[in-house]
Amino acid sequence: MDGKKKAGFFKNPLRRWSWLFMGPVCAAFAIGFVWPFIQGIYLSFCKFKLIRDAKFIGFGNYVSAFADETFKHAFWYTALFAIVSLVLINVLAFTIAYLLTQGLKRSNLYRTVFFMPNLIGGIVLGYIWSMIFDGILSHFNTSILLESKYGFWGLIILVCWQQIGYMMIIYIAGLQAVSEDMLEAAKIDGATKMQTLFKVTIPNVMPSITICTFLGLTNGFKLFDQNLALTAGQPFIIQPDGSNIKTTEMLALNIYNTFYNSSSGSQGTAQAKAVIFFILVAGLGLLQLAYTRKREVQQ
Amino acid sequence: MAEVSLRHIKKIYPNTEKQKKKGDVHRVSHLKVTAEGVVAVDDFNLEIADREFIVLVGPSGCGKSTTLRMVAGLEDISGGELLIDGKLVNDVAPKDRDIAMVFQSYALYPHMTVRENMAFPLKLKKVPQAEIDKKVNEAAEILGITEYLDRKPKALSGGQRQRVAIGRAIVREPKVLLMDEPLSNLDAKLRNQMRAEIIKLRQRINTTFIYVTHDQTEAMTLGDRIVIMRDGEVQQIGTPQEVFDHPANLFVSGFIGVPQMNYFDAKLLKADGKYTVELDGKTIELSAEKQARLAANDVEPQDITLGIRPEHIALFGEGSEMFHGTVDVSEMMGSSVHLHLQSLGKDVIVIVPTMDLQGIHHDGIKAGQEIAFTFGGNVVHIFGKDEKNLEF
Repeated sequence: MDGKKKAGFFKNPLRRWSWLFMGPVCAAFAIGFVWPFIQGIYLSFCKFKLIRDAKFIGFGNYVSAFADETFKHAFWYTALFAIVSLVLINVLAFTIAYLLTQGLKRSNLYRTVFFMPNLIGGIVLGYIWSMIFDGILSHFNTSILLESKYGFWGLIILVCWQQIGYMMIIYIAGLQAVSEDMLEAAKIDGATKMQTLFKVTIPNVMPSITICTFLGLTNGFKLFDQNLALTAGQPFIIQPDGSNIKTTEMLALNIYNTFYNSSSGSQGTAQAKAVIFFILVAGLGLLQLAYTRKREVQQ
Repeated sequence: MAEVSLRHIKKIYPNTEKQKKKGDVHRVSHLKVTAEGVVAVDDFNLEIADREFIVLVGPSGCGKSTTLRMVAGLEDISGGELLIDGKLVNDVAPKDRDIAMVFQSYALYPHMTVRENMAFPLKLKKVPQAEIDKKVNEAAEILGITEYLDRKPKALSGGQRQRVAIGRAIVREPKVLLMDEPLSNLDAKLRNQMRAEIIKLRQRINTTFIYVTHDQTEAMTLGDRIVIMRDGEVQQIGTPQEVFDHPANLFVSGFIGVPQMNYFDAKLLKADGKYTVELDGKTIELSAEKQARLAANDVEPQDITLGIRPEHIALFGEGSEMFHGTVDVSEMMGSSVHLHLQSLGKDVIVIVPTMDLQGIHHDGIKAGQEIAFTFGGNVVHIFGKDEKNLEF
């Protein structure tokens, strides 16, 4: 390092003290994320009850994870759920955002009202909605726990109710950034309201669509507490071999249930499932980002 | 190609419910405020001939853009009639008015290429693809943007973007082409260049132009007729020469012409049916033409504001009617020198062509120098205390 640079380093207090500000965050990130992540990957190749007694067994956990019928079911169930919720949440959130940016009276009040469900925790929402659904379904002598389609659509309604407000805020920000002049130009060029929406507005809110589809997709795959509180995976289907499949159990809940299953070696399997789950969510997220990013436009 | 008639056009922005309840309506600059709301444009009357180039000019907030937007159909018309080719279009949607508009911000579609931008209005009209291609290529040729047709707007400079915006407007061959400060986002050099191109463009396409600007140079150079507006009201309509030579009031005289007109407090006198102006104890004889106009209006002797353009003041004149001043600042502009003089208690600006200066003062004129100047009675403008030109 030459003298000039050195002097600059010590003269600039921000640089000199940067470690003080960066340190705690880096340490927390390393202790709370990087280390457990690495250890988690290692443990997926081990048989263990406690971390201390982990024994390396190779790919055994992965073999049993892929052989697990409940895991396969949870995967397809989660994929279906993620797609349906992604489409519904985004279409509805965009529609509401679009309506609220058309100069509607009291639009600020509506924005607040739509956003509020997002402030309630998933477990609480799950229990509240299970009471609402059961209240309604009791008139038909059934319950959300008795039929898997009720569980599926119940969960869809719940996440829509919870997440639409949040996505709406992102879409509103995107829509407000679309230049008024451009919309007026489209009007003069002869575009109808629908043509303006699809040919001008939507291509110009692609950054918001990218964020919202990413969030929608990953939220859909990672959903846990709402799933646990609303149905906990019920109802069951009993397999010919005596094991049972929880029909409304999603991936995260499946991993959780596998981990706390009393059978020996299940922790390792759960760990392997968690790694597969990570690769799946990260891969899907990156794929979707790459796809929608291409459609974003720069002004 | 079309005639456009604006008859008693009015734009009122209604007071909000809150304001009505509170009973107080805010004044927005100097706009008129009535019980109905803020009057942004008041009683605008103009008959625009086929293929005429009309420029609406005025300071910010004078209602020029609002008027243009009413013609475009982007603003509702609160009162009066708007006719395009004799057809009342007050309630006709913008797309059905057969107009095109160029915006200050270009308003291009960033996700489309230049070609797609220009083809967009034609595609919406369901014009056959072959014809679209032909028209887009022709327009691109006229505007010199053929090589950029496959680029996106972000890859173009400001001037190129504005050409694309103009291209998108002219491919439709609209009856009326509206331009809302199209050159304001460009730098000075490019603005001059584009101004010349708009003049050329105008010769190549057969359409009626309505052009909005706050720049009086653009107004003077582009317009067949200029409409000067202030606070929502039309101040004067006329050819560039007319408004320059015969400004209807003090505002127009100050707005048109750079540098601004000089003003002096003077007295209009009348003796034996002949008008003269007295300034600083000296008498200025008025031309016969001015005499006749003042006599026709039966103007009484009164205190007046005397206006004289900087280019109409002559230095180094001889005779008893000379005024004297001290040079404050001398600005060399190349072809001329702008002198700021302190005289008669005012800051007086004089434009002296460099050619004239060389014969007398080889060293130029220095600050602090005493100087004598004069002007003829044929180039003065006489405004009453109500700011109106007494010759009108």
